[in-house]
Amino acid sequence: MQTTDPQKTNKKPPSVFSLLKPYMGLVTLLLLFALLSNGVNLWLPKVIASGIDDYAQKHFVLNDIIKKFSLAVVIVFIFSYLQTIIQTYASERVARDLRSRLSDKISRQSHAFIEQANPAKLLTNLTADVDSIKLFVSQALVSIVSSLFIIIGASILLFTINWRLALAVIAIIPIIGGTFFYVLKNVRALFIKSRGVIDQLNKVINESILGAALIRVINSQQLEYNKFLLANTEAKEYGLRILGFFAGLIPIVTFTANMAGLTILVMGGHFVINGSMTLGSFAAFNSYLSLLIFPIFILGFMSNLIAQASASFTRISTVLDAPDVAQTGTITETLRGDVELKDVSLFYGQKPALKNVSLKVPAGAKIAVIGPTAAGKTQLLYLLTNLINPSSGEVLYDGHNIGAYDSESFHSQVGFVFQDSIIFNMSIRENIAFSDTVTDESLEKAIDTAELRDFIVSLPDHLNTVVSERGSSLSGGQKQRIMLARALAVNPKVLLLDDFTARVDTNTEKKILTNIQKNYPGLTLISVTQKIASVEHYDQIILLMQGEVVARGVHDELMHTSTDYVQIFNSQQSTSNYEQGIAH
Amino acid sequence: MNYDLNKLSQEQQKTSTFAGLRKLLQLIAHEKRTLIIALFAILVNSTLNLLGPLIIGHTIDKYVQHKDFTGVLHNAAILLCMFLAALFTSNKQTKLMGGVGQRMLFTLRNSIFNKLQQLPVGFFNQNKAGDLISRVNNDTDKLNQFFSQSLMQFIGNISTMVGAGVFLILINIELGAATLSPAVVILVLTLVLSPWIKRKNALNLKSVGGMSAEIQESLNNFKVIIAFNRRDYFRKRFDIANQENYRTSIGSGLANNVFVPVYGFFASIAQLIVLTFGIYLISTGRFSLGLLVSYLSYSTLFYNPLRQLAALWTNFQLAMAGWDRISQILSLETDLPQLQEGITEQNSALLEFRHVHFGYTEEREILHNICFTLEQGKTYALVGPTGGGKTTTASLIARLYDPSKGLVMLDGKDIRTYSAEERSKKIGFILQEPFLFTGTVKDNILYGNDLYVNHTNEQLEKVIVDANLGSLLAIFEAGLDTEVLSSGDSISLGQKQLIAFMRAVLRNPQILILDEATANIDTITEKLLSDILNKLPATTTRVIIAHRLNTIENADEIFFVNSGEVIRAGSLNDAMDMLLQGKRVS
Repeated sequence: MQTTDPQKTNKKPPSVFSLLKPYMGLVTLLLLFALLSNGVNLWLPKVIASGIDDYAQKHFVLNDIIKKFSLAVVIVFIFSYLQTIIQTYASERVARDLRSRLSDKISRQSHAFIEQANPAKLLTNLTADVDSIKLFVSQALVSIVSSLFIIIGASILLFTINWRLALAVIAIIPIIGGTFFYVLKNVRALFIKSRGVIDQLNKVINESILGAALIRVINSQQLEYNKFLLANTEAKEYGLRILGFFAGLIPIVTFTANMAGLTILVMGGHFVINGSMTLGSFAAFNSYLSLLIFPIFILGFMSNLIAQASASFTRISTVLDAPDVAQTGTITETLRGDVELKDVSLFYGQKPALKNVSLKVPAGAKIAVIGPTAAGKTQLLYLLTNLINPSSGEVLYDGHNIGAYDSESFHSQVGFVFQDSIIFNMSIRENIAFSDTVTDESLEKAIDTAELRDFIVSLPDHLNTVVSERGSSLSGGQKQRIMLARALAVNPKVLLLDDFTARVDTNTEKKILTNIQKNYPGLTLISVTQKIASVEHYDQIILLMQGEVVARGVHDELMHTSTDYVQIFNSQQSTSNYEQGIAH
Repeated sequence: MNYDLNKLSQEQQKTSTFAGLRKLLQLIAHEKRTLIIALFAILVNSTLNLLGPLIIGHTIDKYVQHKDFTGVLHNAAILLCMFLAALFTSNKQTKLMGGVGQRMLFTLRNSIFNKLQQLPVGFFNQNKAGDLISRVNNDTDKLNQFFSQSLMQFIGNISTMVGAGVFLILINIELGAATLSPAVVILVLTLVLSPWIKRKNALNLKSVGGMSAEIQESLNNFKVIIAFNRRDYFRKRFDIANQENYRTSIGSGLANNVFVPVYGFFASIAQLIVLTFGIYLISTGRFSLGLLVSYLSYSTLFYNPLRQLAALWTNFQLAMAGWDRISQILSLETDLPQLQEGITEQNSALLEFRHVHFGYTEEREILHNICFTLEQGKTYALVGPTGGGKTTTASLIARLYDPSKGLVMLDGKDIRTYSAEERSKKIGFILQEPFLFTGTVKDNILYGNDLYVNHTNEQLEKVIVDANLGSLLAIFEAGLDTEVLSSGDSISLGQKQLIAFMRAVLRNPQILILDEATANIDTITEKLLSDILNKLPATTTRVIIAHRLNTIENADEIFFVNSGEVIRAGSLNDAMDMLLQGKRVS
């Protein structure tokens, strides 16, 4: 026992055992059944021994033995069956609850947290890591307790039969335990490293699935294969190194156990010969030895499970223990729609994405943000939706800091159309009525405004048609319009468009913008775009370059004041005639 | 072709465990020699370990009962030598068998990945990425757990069990048969219950896949969930998947654990048989007390591993269920095979569509009877409303799919006769959704490009400047060494498109297709791109798909693509007219 204890208690907190606290009832029941069935099991060799002795002393009663034995066997069967049932329920409940806790925690995190924690790693936390904890509960826990029980129980029984021989036999426990301790310490380190390699392996697989189209266009299958081969070879080598340790461990343990058997033969034989022990007891010693060896093996393997579960739990804990995003906002009033940025800067490490940006948008105004790639336009919109926080400066809605708003109330009044197409694997209705505050009426209005009516009617199940993940069955423009309808369906007071026009043809775009003005009067519109033509009549145009506002004003002003603006205008000029032509 | 794995698994009849195992074993067919040596080591090792109880029984009968301690010592010495020998064989056995297991896993992973690389784009569009990733990662991990942990125990236990069985029969056939009879019951029970257990596990694996897909989708699109304040929605959807997973897990868990108590029960029955029937045999003088002690050991040696095997059997079933799902992928074949070299037509256009029909599914045709030709060195534009078939047309040019009817001719030959390597050298395709690999800008620009592999940053920068791409590179903070992530918003969509653009141009293709490849790039940078396109070698054919008309004003020819038809538009003005009149079908 002393040999196995340190392995567990040495674990740094939080220990995976702490996870079991809320399930004490189940765990107690589980252990109780396990101990009962094992306890009766321990008694069996005694029954056999007395049978042999009775026979040797010629007063053997067959019925007696059969009765005792059968009773024991049935009891063991019932208890161990109950044990497996509880074991299954307990482990699955721990797993389910842990997943719920994780998802609950994740669901309350910020965008930045998810990006930093990396969705792929969070997926591992929710699946593989939880599984290894499940395995710990379902197998390790019971095995460890019953093994310890059997080792202790068998040892005590051995002592009651013959203490000198017992002492000699029990001497094997520390030897086997010590070997296990040494090997597993080494193996554990290797396991952690090999887990890292597996992560790398999975990364290559993931990228090769997500980038499948590109890989086929470039014909870089071999390249991907080589990347994979490298990681896979490394994984194999770790596997073989771990194997090497086990190949050393198992023979030593078996040998030690065999030596104990040999001791029983020599010493026990000696005792039987000089009459200080019966033949039945001698047989019992042999039986108890085989009972004793098995649990030691199991303890060894289980400590592996514990190590894996502990590593998994440490990873999970970093997510669970992450500080909550402070939800301090309380304002739930209806927005008028005034938006203001006050001297806002945003840094990614050393790198500024936005520098001292200030702008003011009165309610109901339409403003456009124009600028080259990597100017910080998208980040600006992220700030306006509270997806990220500014490094300095303030984002104000109706004169209040964005953080002062109750996030539920806030998000139900601000619609955001993302630049990249994000379509969920569910029906079009659910994709558009993504927020639960959406009424049928506002859903219909959003669909009409986004010019989706014809498209939806053409689908087999209309609004209930399920669109696939990553929206591969939809065209780029269809996806964009669904995203717009999603934003409009909440009846927003403020609408943020991120490069909405990029994938929608000019004709449709004009129609949609007219629809918005008609159906959502008084809406504050902030549109990030590339096309000057579609925003010429906006109340304000802001030219953003490398994170700085370089010019602002209405179109005509900018044409006179900003050379950068004129340059952009001219670059689009050659075709603007045609675009105008389409508009009319 | 149908690549939907969920549909396929419904159609496919269930393979038996044995058939699955045989397919798995084919992966190690080349390891015969090692396997034979390992089996030999196992045999010797088991014999050595199993002789122990027999010699002990013999010692009891012959020496202990006759009070001959020297004899005891004599036999003890023999045992010691045997155990020492077993020390060596046991080590060999684990090393050899475990090695085979690890290499098998290695081969298996390689063949899955290799298969994934062979399958066409259609396969990836028909399956959810999350489900695929789960299939490949989780299911191989199940096999991994089996091979790296359970297999050794499996082999060890089986050899001990079989050996003990043999000794039980050899020493006394009557008592041996009686002792083994409960095992027959177990065997029958196992065979009867196995399909049920396997079904439960398959059900569970499926719900695990569903849950992974759910998580994947939500986490990758977390910003939408935040912006629409649907954190509760994420929780709710996850809870449903979680609860479903819980339900199927309980089912599979109960099924998997059913054997443990049953095995224990029959093991004890066997002990009882040994004791009672053994004593009866002794009383009739056909057996000895010493052998009874050996027999009790053997029956433990037989039934204990059996119990372990019950637990391992679960792992084995899990591994086999995983293997089933994996072999579904392995059994798929690409529907884009390379055809035999055919006739080469003289004086043909660079690329020609001849009466091409195509649909992603058989029911719904997207392109109807398309005919057009592309000449070398010219610039073509595909315009038209969204959903009209522009991307699909481009995908057929790059042979991401084959037409269902008709021919695509490249340089006078059926495009299907080109090897993937030749074809991808000739055709560059900048996809609508740019994809980056985690790494640096340099890694991504040079991705799959052998030409500049050993170039230093300075040399590469020169190449980039020579290709007129210098101004684009300057947009990246740390130039070539700028770090990018495959997922997430580390850089903007426009920047991703720039990288994809540079990547394609540096490959110097004969046909360069841009599928709205500059949609999220500002107009000034776009001007740069169009200058770069104009400066491409005179032989390069450009195919530009765009909504924004300024990107196509330099086109030599414009095609209007709508409702699955491709019509030659003559001039930009004609295209305008068509766009104005063209009814939006999407």
